[in-house]
Amino acid sequence: MFERFTRDAREVVEGSVEVSRRTGADRVTDEHLLLTMLEQEGTRTAFTLAALGVHDRRASLEAALARAHRRAGLSRSESDALAGLGIDIDSVVARAEENHGPGALHPHPRRPAKRRRRGSFAPAAKETLVRSLRIAAERGDRRIGGEHLLLALTTAPGVVSEVLADHGATYQSVARLLPGGQPG
Amino acid sequence: MTEATDLAESAGDRDPRVGLRAVAALRRLLERLEAIQVRSARDQGWSWQEIAAELGVSRQAVHKKHGRQ
Repeated sequence: MFERFTRDAREVVEGSVEVSRRTGADRVTDEHLLLTMLEQEGTRTAFTLAALGVHDRRASLEAALARAHRRAGLSRSESDALAGLGIDIDSVVARAEENHGPGALHPHPRRPAKRRRRGSFAPAAKETLVRSLRIAAERGDRRIGGEHLLLALTTAPGVVSEVLADHGATYQSVARLLPGGQPG
Repeated sequence: MTEATDLAESAGDRDPRVGLRAVAALRRLLERLEAIQVRSARDQGWSWQEIAAELGVSRQAVHKKHGRQ
């Protein structure tokens, strides 16, 4: 699957395994792919993220991800949908943390080292990799670069794409900055 | 409340997308709540049988789902 990946894209994939390990997660997720891209310098992806202002707002982006973790990994639109049922997610989080400690509802709790399946990709992150191939094909690009991974993240269901959009990176805004993108 | 927002709200109520998203979110929240309650019970010395009885499921089911944590 990775034969057509550029060096930048491979570095994102390999880096994400490292990031997941560092954060004590048992699987590689979309978030780890995104955090790895934000650490890169000098790549087309890094340039795109910088041009969109995402790089400068990294702290805000990480805070948004942390907020979602506390809310059992639910995105804002999911939290709003729950509010529609009369469930205030922040009250639920507050009660859970009061009784079970900070981060009680974190969707990927740390596991003891021997229980971790290190380096394996969560199903959603695998989907992202597969989608990057499809996106490259649709755009008529032969190689899969970090930018295709970023485009795939902007279309992933859930927290990561929502947080990216909140910080100015949507499929359209990213695509516009790439070679062959429509100006303006 | 103006007529326009009233209409918008009632339209939102009928949007299946919002309702389905709420159900999916609730399911994920439920999974996390179950996990922390089960762990808390185990930490307090509860048996799998006792936990299963409270959850209304079989002992095998609860052990299979949470036994590795």
